[in-house]
Amino acid sequence: MIPLENFLILSGFLFAVGLYGVLARRSAILILMSVELMLAGVAINFAAFAAYLDADGFSGMIFALFVITVAAAEVGLALGIVLRLFRERRTSYVDAANTLKW
Amino acid sequence: MGMEQVWILPAIPMAVFILLGLFNAYIPRRGDFIAVLGMSLVVLLVGLVLLDFQGSFSDHEFHPSAGANTYAFDWLNIGNGFFLIEFSTYVDAITMVMLPVVSFVALMVLVYSIGYMHGEKRYGWYFATLSFFVAAMLLLVISGNLLQLYLAWEGVGLASYLLIGFYWERQSAAEAAKKAFITTRVGDVGLLIGIILLWKATGTFDIQELISAAQAGAFTETYLTISLIFLFLGAVGKSAQFPLHVWLPDAMEGPTPVSALIHAATMVVAGVYLIARMLPMYELAPIAQDVVLYTGLITALMAATMGLVASDIKRVLAFSTVSQLGFMFVALGVGAVTAAMFHLFTHAFFKSLLFLGSGSVIHATEQQEVEGLGGLRKKMPITAATFIIGSLALAGIPIFAGFFSKDEILHALMDSGPSWAYVLLAGTALLTAIYSTRLVLLTFFGETRNTESYNHAHESPRIMTAPLCILAVLATVSGFFAIDQVGKLLGFEGGIGYLVYPVGGHPHEFKLYVLFATVATITALVGLVIGWIYWHGNAQRANAAKEWAPEIHQLLVRRYYMDELYQGIINRVILGAAAVVAWFDKRVVNETGVDGGAQLINFLGWRLKFTQTGRIPNYVLAMAVGVLAVIIVAVSNS
Repeated sequence: MIPLENFLILSGFLFAVGLYGVLARRSAILILMSVELMLAGVAINFAAFAAYLDADGFSGMIFALFVITVAAAEVGLALGIVLRLFRERRTSYVDAANTLKW
Repeated sequence: MGMEQVWILPAIPMAVFILLGLFNAYIPRRGDFIAVLGMSLVVLLVGLVLLDFQGSFSDHEFHPSAGANTYAFDWLNIGNGFFLIEFSTYVDAITMVMLPVVSFVALMVLVYSIGYMHGEKRYGWYFATLSFFVAAMLLLVISGNLLQLYLAWEGVGLASYLLIGFYWERQSAAEAAKKAFITTRVGDVGLLIGIILLWKATGTFDIQELISAAQAGAFTETYLTISLIFLFLGAVGKSAQFPLHVWLPDAMEGPTPVSALIHAATMVVAGVYLIARMLPMYELAPIAQDVVLYTGLITALMAATMGLVASDIKRVLAFSTVSQLGFMFVALGVGAVTAAMFHLFTHAFFKSLLFLGSGSVIHATEQQEVEGLGGLRKKMPITAATFIIGSLALAGIPIFAGFFSKDEILHALMDSGPSWAYVLLAGTALLTAIYSTRLVLLTFFGETRNTESYNHAHESPRIMTAPLCILAVLATVSGFFAIDQVGKLLGFEGGIGYLVYPVGGHPHEFKLYVLFATVATITALVGLVIGWIYWHGNAQRANAAKEWAPEIHQLLVRRYYMDELYQGIINRVILGAAAVVAWFDKRVVNETGVDGGAQLINFLGWRLKFTQTGRIPNYVLAMAVGVLAVIIVAVSNS
């Protein structure tokens, strides 16, 4: 079997890339895509631990399923917000929502 | 009604105070008769208590110098007796001297006041406050424990403040009232410290328990001495001894009957009463007793010298009171509780007589200064006669009361005190005779110095002269109570020597030491003669003496500059310390602390608000960093 660490490195890499995307992107859609990447990394993490450390591997797989569900729901909401933002500001750049400041 | 029910005695005037204080406007005559009736009832009840006391006396149930201790109830009890405030009464011979004095003189003063205060503003409140005073004073003399005594002590101080400041619209009266209260407060702090010290060592406030504890050796001598000196400080304040005597001359701003009652017969003797009560403890701490003795001596002499030059009749009498109180403390200082209490007894009668007499003069002439008086004996014969009787008693002329009591003190001093002290006190007695003669001559004899007031002057109404006459009789005969036969006639085992004597001592019978008495009489007569030489007619000799030594005269008139000294201390020390504290409060607490705190928050807010950029990526970064930090901490801790 492939060592567990490989999977962990993969999921960590995905998570890190996703994190970078969230922090460095201006476009709301791209931020959402980066969030999806983070979630993917997390799911792989859970699945890998489930497969390697848990005898039946139930809990981890189920948690990965949850992650997918949550991602779906969250995207629905988030796109709604992005649409709203676009209608207000005529741009989907996230720094357009900047009035709640000092 | 007996010794067990003495608590009723203060309750009656207290009820009168509440009634008159709240409702005097709705009661006919503003309730003056209620006050008089209440006090008469108290006098009657005191008589019953006296009978009960005498009854147990002859049954030999208990020692007359011991007493009946009645405990009524616990007010506060912490730790099952660790800290106990209770209401308790104690009746013994000393109490039995004080009760008749307080109640009877109060009655005389109240009756007299109906005439004197007629038509005055706040007439009803006057009677209310006087009743409150008597209630507090009665409570004081029946108290069985020091805390209750302290409560009553403050009560009489309050009453004194209210009454001295009765004419508060007059600035000098308001200030005199403040001065009295603050000066006695200084003493009261000492008293409280003394009480606490005594409690700390024994755990009790009860007077008899404290005395037994002291006699059983519960205190080291040093500790006891210090506590008793603090206790004495309270007496110094209340009884206007040096150096806290400064308030009494100014207290004459109050109505004259008030001076007669409070500042002659009752409140000022509270200090004497306290020391007499605690005397068994003072006997165990000779240094403390010496302090009492020397304070009394200094005060007696000092006050007599100041009385010699005072120009206001009441002021002369005030200094005289301070001086006579000094005599009483001298007696206590050598352990002669009999002499002290006896002098308290006689002094109450003749001094209140003198004050009421001076009130009669003031009432008739509207004058208080001797410049406005003179030759009044023709216009006011009864006042003059009774006043002269009072002065003779004060001077110590035989058969009058003062002779017997002053004699007792001088004799006790000669027996147990240093001989120079006797000479000093005898000299003071001489001065006493001199200044009383001076007062009588300047007021009632010679030519009048103010014809207008002289022409208006008339004898006072009967309601004022009657108490004068009664007190004059007492000033004459109360001295005879020293004689054993008289005492037996009245139902006691003997004279005052059988009634009041040091605990653990034995009663002493009355003995007339002929040589001694003769010397004392001669001293008094010499004083009378000197007084006559200097002040008769138009007092040329006295005026000449004034010219001859103006600085001494000034020193005495300005009361040895003690008022200026105290004002200086207040201005520099007290107000100076206050200025430092005020600075601290303003600069450190207020500006740096309170204002500074607010300014700090303001500043931080101003700087930190720029973190709220409103830009979402910034917030996301913050979240990410935060999560990272939490993870690091969690991992490093596990």
